[in-house]
Amino acid sequence: MKIKPGFMLREIDDTSVVVAVGEASEHFNGLITLNTTGSFLWKKLQQGATEQELVQALCGAFEVDPDTARADTAEFVAAARKAGFLDE
Amino acid sequence: MAVYEIAGLRVRMAPRYPTLTRQAQPYLAADQQGPVHFTLTVDDAFLQAKQAENPHLTINDCEYIWVGAAFYRALLHYDGFLLHASAVMMDGKAYLFTAPSGTGKSTHTALWQRCFGPDRARILNDDKPALRLLDGAFVACGTPFSGKTDLNINSAVPLQGICLLSRAAENRITRLTGRQALAGLLNQTLRPAEEQEMDRLLRLMDRLLRTVPVYALQCNMEKEAAELSYQTMKSCQEGIAL
Repeated sequence: MKIKPGFMLREIDDTSVVVAVGEASEHFNGLITLNTTGSFLWKKLQQGATEQELVQALCGAFEVDPDTARADTAEFVAAARKAGFLDE
Repeated sequence: MAVYEIAGLRVRMAPRYPTLTRQAQPYLAADQQGPVHFTLTVDDAFLQAKQAENPHLTINDCEYIWVGAAFYRALLHYDGFLLHASAVMMDGKAYLFTAPSGTGKSTHTALWQRCFGPDRARILNDDKPALRLLDGAFVACGTPFSGKTDLNINSAVPLQGICLLSRAAENRITRLTGRQALAGLLNQTLRPAEEQEMDRLLRLMDRLLRTVPVYALQCNMEKEAAELSYQTMKSCQEGIAL
């Protein structure tokens, strides 16, 4: 799965935010703020990754146990899917 | 075509209808010959199409609105952007109050005028001030495009602070973090649809949030509301972050 085109992740005043441009902005004209983990997962999903790959990457980058990583990833992916950010 | 000087930019345009012609008049440049930053042209076919889409507007309204929109789009290329706000200037500083239409932005700046006198508190732009980053600091500028009112002054002064305004029974003001302020500000500007342009806007927002204090102001329509916002905002000495 992968983030749909048209979503931009930027750092504004030390906050990671996502806004939409182009076609994506016709369906989403809000603003998403992400925490450190969210921003990390979003960047991985921009390149495309499976949920398993996300969990592995998260464990590699942060000091986090696999169960927590799995739970965090599942929660993030479910939210992103529900909001319509993902091409699957 | 004539040359106007708006928000420090030399702009060529040819107003044809009364509102824009009248509003732009104070911005006519003394030097009509020199080079310009950009030219704003909106042709009749475009205006007629816009009017057909918006039958409640006259062709005069359409010219005023869409030449304004073209100005603010171009402004992004000169370290500037629009904030939907009522801007009051006092003692050489600009104080901005932003909120969705109908919240009471103009009501609040009108309170400033009642409180501090209309000669000292002057409306720089009642609806759409231009903010520009000049030499590392933001200035607020009057423009001919000031919404339904014709309240604007051809002037540019340092931006002292911005309030996200909402109505409440009791007056209260709180300083916001950048994270808290961002959504409120982004909702009150023109959001570009192209990635490059959005990037310009977000870079400016980043600078703004690092250098200009933003507050949440909950206020009623009593004079104390103006006292509170002025006293809080004027005392903030923000350093310029690098």
